[in-house]
Amino acid sequence: MRRSLIYLLVSVMVVALVSAPAAAGGKVKIGLLAPLTGFAAADGLSVRNSVQLAVERINKKGGVLGKKVQLVVYDDRADAKEAVALARKLIQQDRVAAVVGGSYSTPSRAVAPIFQDEEIPFVAAYAVHPDITRAGNYCFRNGFLGMVEGKSAGYVAVKLLGAKRIALLTSDNDFGRTLAAGFKKYVSEKAPGTKIVFAKTYPFKEKDFKPYLSKIKELKPDLLFASGYYFQTGPIVNQAREMGLKVTILGEEGADSPKFLEIAGKAAEGFVLVTNLNRDDPRPEVKQFLKEYESRFKIQPDMVGASAYDAFMLICNAIEKAGSVAGPKIRKALAATRDYNGLTGTLKGFTDEGEVIKEVQVQIVKDGRFRHFGVVTDLELITP
Amino acid sequence: MHLFIEQLLNGIAMGSIYALVTLGLALVYGILRILHVAHAAIYTVGAYVGLAVFKFTGSLWLGFGGAMVFCSVLGVAIERLVYYPLLKYPPYVPLIGSIAVMLGIEELCRLVAGPYILTFPARLPFAAVHLGSVTISSTLMAVYAITALVLAVLWYITSRTEMGLAMRATSQDMAIADAMGINSHQVVSATFVLGSSIAAVAGVLVGIYYNQVYPTMGAVPAYKTLALIVVGGMGSVPGAVIASLLLGVAETLLIGYAQIPLPRDALAFIAMIAVLMWRSEGLLGSK
Repeated sequence: MRRSLIYLLVSVMVVALVSAPAAAGGKVKIGLLAPLTGFAAADGLSVRNSVQLAVERINKKGGVLGKKVQLVVYDDRADAKEAVALARKLIQQDRVAAVVGGSYSTPSRAVAPIFQDEEIPFVAAYAVHPDITRAGNYCFRNGFLGMVEGKSAGYVAVKLLGAKRIALLTSDNDFGRTLAAGFKKYVSEKAPGTKIVFAKTYPFKEKDFKPYLSKIKELKPDLLFASGYYFQTGPIVNQAREMGLKVTILGEEGADSPKFLEIAGKAAEGFVLVTNLNRDDPRPEVKQFLKEYESRFKIQPDMVGASAYDAFMLICNAIEKAGSVAGPKIRKALAATRDYNGLTGTLKGFTDEGEVIKEVQVQIVKDGRFRHFGVVTDLELITP
Repeated sequence: MHLFIEQLLNGIAMGSIYALVTLGLALVYGILRILHVAHAAIYTVGAYVGLAVFKFTGSLWLGFGGAMVFCSVLGVAIERLVYYPLLKYPPYVPLIGSIAVMLGIEELCRLVAGPYILTFPARLPFAAVHLGSVTISSTLMAVYAITALVLAVLWYITSRTEMGLAMRATSQDMAIADAMGINSHQVVSATFVLGSSIAAVAGVLVGIYYNQVYPTMGAVPAYKTLALIVVGGMGSVPGAVIASLLLGVAETLLIGYAQIPLPRDALAFIAMIAVLMWRSEGLLGSK
């Protein structure tokens, strides 16, 4: 008798736990994975700050579905093993309605299938690897696919900067290699008059780029495409200028960080990059975000933060439209998003694979800040 | 040809940095026969302290000095509190202790200074030199000059002073040295002061050279220097310097000329394996 009573009690508790919805206690829980420590810590901080602003803004307006939004943030250290454990925690312990993927490709592609299996919508803010959205229809991407951004960078190099002889220096990981592949694809298919005279990858932890740069200097290219993160491209730009290498240097979103400007210092002037945040965007919501972020956190905002802000807002928008916190309904509303006005541009919509379609921004460093340089609007290039 | 010269200059700078970090390790191994892995953490602390003092006072020289003093104290503290009590155990016991100290200090740096890459905004007091199409940047010159200075001072101390004589005697046989009236424990501490202040110089220099200071900057040196002291001959200071310079040049030329996608860090260990197979005493070691 006593034993069956205990069984009964336990099963009641289990049922209560399992069925506790994401909106329990009058709150909607949304998860966020970001690299708050480890090598990518500066990006993680920017993501957390930006999403924090988004949460405050949403809650000031009364939250979603009349409930306050509660953010659950975990530090995945940009590490896949770490991220997998935290994804399970978000699902089983926190019971979040949806998750913002505010981290790099390697951890994001590891957790995407987990959220897919549990039918929890997952929006990768800025990770570029194709496997993330390939995990299934619950996985979306608000940033650019690596190939799209790489091809756009190729377009910028050839069409906007008129490069004829190009050197490629690539970080040896998913991110760097995918971007370089897109870049090469564009150049070989669309620019017969342009030659790639140097292409090398460097190990992820490389600090001394002088051996590569000396070689590049001798080949006299008119453009160097450096694809990697701010802690790689920053030293590359710095060391190149120190060595008297005057070539135009083009980068991508991995260098879109105030830390890049700090590490490269004066050498950053004239550096061009493709990204998704236009600092000179005339739309008032973007202006307000850029101003508020800088005055509050005393550091310049960047693309990872703005992308995570957008990913979070897209989820809230979808929950509101779906009128529910049930995964399948949020997913459907997310997939139906059209012409969404985000910080990182107007999102035309998602493809069937969950890939975003929006314009690629080109920025240039002037007086220690990223400024508008151009934009890639060619639909053929920006549609994944 | 000028490409080769430029690569050679890059390689010597890299090798000089390796040498500065490895020196302390070789000194400590020579005298205590323990692998002082935590040396790489002292180097990290040196970079942070140097940066903090530089930011506070605006003087790079005070930054170097402050880092040297702080790291000397830290080095001696590790020696007195961790290694000395563990000396009576087999050598792997102090090694494990050393690894623990290394990880602990690394985490402490992260907690105190944050996980972010800090930049070292120091201006060096000389400009780049252009010789034809070869450019020698100011940071390269700083690396050469400081390494040469450190090596000269170290050579003077170890071969021209009484302390140096005592150090050599202690490293040959601590018990006999004690019997000859040398206070060997003081000599050991002096070795840590010397090694740790060189690590501090290396930390600050690397911070400026790459314009980056971060908690895990000691991670790669922690294992690479182990390979270097094996190649140089365990405990041989000139051997460690030669091995470091050779490795720096070899790595740089490998990246500059070879088409094989061999990561730079692999080379040190290939060299170590080769040395262990064919000349187990190392380049300048004795059997």
